[in-house]
Amino acid sequence: MLTKRQLVLSVSVLVAGLVAMNLVIAFLTRNSVPRRVMQHARQSQSASVIALGNSLVASGFDEAAFNSGAGISAPQGSANLGLGASSPVEQLLLFRYALSRGVHPGLVVYGFYDFQLTNPVQFSTGDLIGNHAMLYYVEPFYARRFYSLSLHDSLQFPAMHAIPMFADRGALWAKIEILRRGIAQQGMPAERTSRMGRAADFSLLEAADEKDFRLQCEASMNLPLSPSVNELLRQAHGLGLTIAVVEMPMRGQHRRLFYNTPWWSQYNTHIRSLLAPFNVTYVDASDWIRDDTLFEDPLHLSAPGAAQFSQRLGSFLAPLPPHLAADSAETPVPERVRP
Amino acid sequence: MSRLLWCQNLLEYLAGEIDTPPAGCPIKLANYLFWGIWWGILIGIVLIFSGQSSKFIYIDF
Repeated sequence: MLTKRQLVLSVSVLVAGLVAMNLVIAFLTRNSVPRRVMQHARQSQSASVIALGNSLVASGFDEAAFNSGAGISAPQGSANLGLGASSPVEQLLLFRYALSRGVHPGLVVYGFYDFQLTNPVQFSTGDLIGNHAMLYYVEPFYARRFYSLSLHDSLQFPAMHAIPMFADRGALWAKIEILRRGIAQQGMPAERTSRMGRAADFSLLEAADEKDFRLQCEASMNLPLSPSVNELLRQAHGLGLTIAVVEMPMRGQHRRLFYNTPWWSQYNTHIRSLLAPFNVTYVDASDWIRDDTLFEDPLHLSAPGAAQFSQRLGSFLAPLPPHLAADSAETPVPERVRP
Repeated sequence: MSRLLWCQNLLEYLAGEIDTPPAGCPIKLANYLFWGIWWGILIGIVLIFSGQSSKFIYIDF
């Protein structure tokens, strides 16, 4: 029979072990993808352009090609702060993080696809893994107002956010998932993968069919901008930054089934009217890449596709204020948007 | 005691099912250092493998 003293001593050793485990996890995840993007923001203080968005921007915005198209050069060039598997909430946080670390862009490029601008962001704590984990450690309580959690999860959130083995659990799970996929691949034909995952999986992020897309269009037709998108645009506009909202390039099949339809045109008219108060330059680049071989999976551009798109985007946006090729003054950052 | 039965007793002892270790097992209940580390290892294993039901689309974390 375990005595009380033995139990207390064992639990003390356990607690010490858990503290050590948390320190190890914090160390191992110090270079997780969101932290690398944040580091890139810190290293891009002279950037005159920042690109924000999800994985379509992360993989589709080629800084060098954009700079070349816009006639600007590093370090005054562009910084890609796109984050894969992110919602507009994380994108808002990255924008604020960049500003708070001394980045003073003249132009903000915000890339989106489908209903990203209007879809309300809803999470459960089970969703806050992978790159969403940054919601635990970058302005966690500021960000909470931009997405909804159930009562149970909103109570769980503050308990989890300070503990690395909970907040960054997705990084561990991803390693196990990669191991599982490796084992499952033994003796099987190789699956096509991109740097973000299995190519076939990304079709799950598209509408199932035309009917499904039409229903989503109809459901989104009267929605306002998602609160985090609205806040990002409001803060950028308030700072006098030029904002370009870019409909990211999509494959021919996606354009044919979903974008070349009357309901997408109606939805598009709706979102343009929502963006108008922010003096946004709307760039429909969805058909800029017509060669489907320049996509590495159903959603993401390959490196050559990204270079082609980014160069054209740079040329397209260069004439806009702040006239990227010319010397531009730094934009002051008011205290109110500092995180 | 057969080797299989001994292993069964050892597993039951480590899992807390029984309080008496099988004959020859050097780990006593008084060894708080072992039990603290052992529980930590079990928690670590549960943590690592508890994401199996998550549907990973992106894996670049």
